Amino acid sequence: MHKKLELPGIERIRARFLDMLEQRQRALAEHALAAWEGSTLQEINDNLAEARTILHQIAGTAGSLGFDDLGTVARDNELAIDAHLDGPKGKIANCPTEIIFGLDDFLKSSEALIAEQSALESA
Amino acid sequence: MKILAVDDDPIILELLSHFIEGMTDHTLVTAECAADALEAIKDNARAPFDSFLLDIQMPVTDGIQLASQIRAMKQYMDAPILMLTAMSEKSYIDAAFSAGATDYVTKPFEMTELKARLSLVERAVDGLATRTSKVFAAKAVTHHDGRPERAVQLHEPMAIHDVNNLIEFMALENYVQQLSRSDLFGSICFAFNIRDVEIFHENMSNFEFCSMLSDVGEIISDTLEGCQFLMSYAGGGTFVCITESGWRPDPKLLANNINISLAKTELFDNRGQHINPRICAGKAVRLMWKTNSSVMDALSEAHASAEEATANYQKVQNDFWNVGRTA
Repeated sequence: MHKKLELPGIERIRARFLDMLEQRQRALAEHALAAWEGSTLQEINDNLAEARTILHQIAGTAGSLGFDDLGTVARDNELAIDAHLDGPKGKIANCPTEIIFGLDDFLKSSEALIAEQSALESA
Repeated sequence: MKILAVDDDPIILELLSHFIEGMTDHTLVTAECAADALEAIKDNARAPFDSFLLDIQMPVTDGIQLASQIRAMKQYMDAPILMLTAMSEKSYIDAAFSAGATDYVTKPFEMTELKARLSLVERAVDGLATRTSKVFAAKAVTHHDGRPERAVQLHEPMAIHDVNNLIEFMALENYVQQLSRSDLFGSICFAFNIRDVEIFHENMSNFEFCSMLSDVGEIISDTLEGCQFLMSYAGGGTFVCITESGWRPDPKLLANNINISLAKTELFDNRGQHINPRICAGKAVRLMWKTNSSVMDALSEAHASAEEATANYQKVQNDFWNVGRTA
């Protein structure tokens, strides 16, 4: 097993990631809601695709910054949206509840992480 | 090295800048999309980049399309391209290698892994510089009998451009190593060897020899068209091919088809003399359930098997003419 390389000054990038995470989770919640309330196939799938792009970016960096768990939840949600959009149900104007529940779980994890990091900072 | 990194996620670019500035002597230029990357390439035309780090998934023009565009630039035909991807799905990886990628790193990346990959890229860049200097040196140096000094070594792998699915040997090695990490154990490798390649190499100029390899590579690629495969010139007249799972090639049948195509294609050297390259096929080696190092061994086994097939062919030819002769 090799040791994770910790670069000096990585804190600055972590802080930026957390700032962006707040914006990203807001955007993600908006897209999840729009997909859930969408009535046309395009509206639902476009919003799911936007949510997927946000998750993809979070999954791509969270692990490199030490937020492995958040990265894993983001990746799981990304893959679930991919499977839905590429599968037969992706051709029906219906947003699956499992995807919305999954996104909700991600948002909770994200909020918890931001709260935890903010508590660490003020301690 | 001067590196251009392209990713639509500013955090990735920040991480890369931080890492590269903090831990290496390389210079990093960043771009957030393919259009900005192409602009940066134009702006840096006088001091070009040595290598590229490209994200696969980007809006408008993705990293695979950008890799193709970079490869199409004469200046960057051989420059190492390392793909940064969050996806381990094979279709993206295959497309990236076909588009000219040299290697890839899966995101989120570990700094130690990225550092190791960059060292490999640096070695490749150094290798390129050495080969380029050899080619330039060859222009000035001649043998005592007037023949030009040979820059293209017979047993060295060589980059052949503009042939579908033909990638650099280092990229093929990286691709095969990645295969063992994924679930694609059903892939098969096999190789074709040009008969009498030593004679071609001895009697041809660098340009003629490279052109012949390119022609043979193109005919092999055309023969395999319709199948999912990647191939590379491994040196010594040998082309190594890797196919996707699900297809079980018959190398001997393929060799016959390739030789028929070679016979139908009129190939000439610079003096207008007709040349008749023909190939032999080695055995198909399955990559199933192999570990990382034995996958590399499988590649060598396929290579050696094709060379052995050529040696056997030549032995049979000699024996045929020697039948009935006594000392």
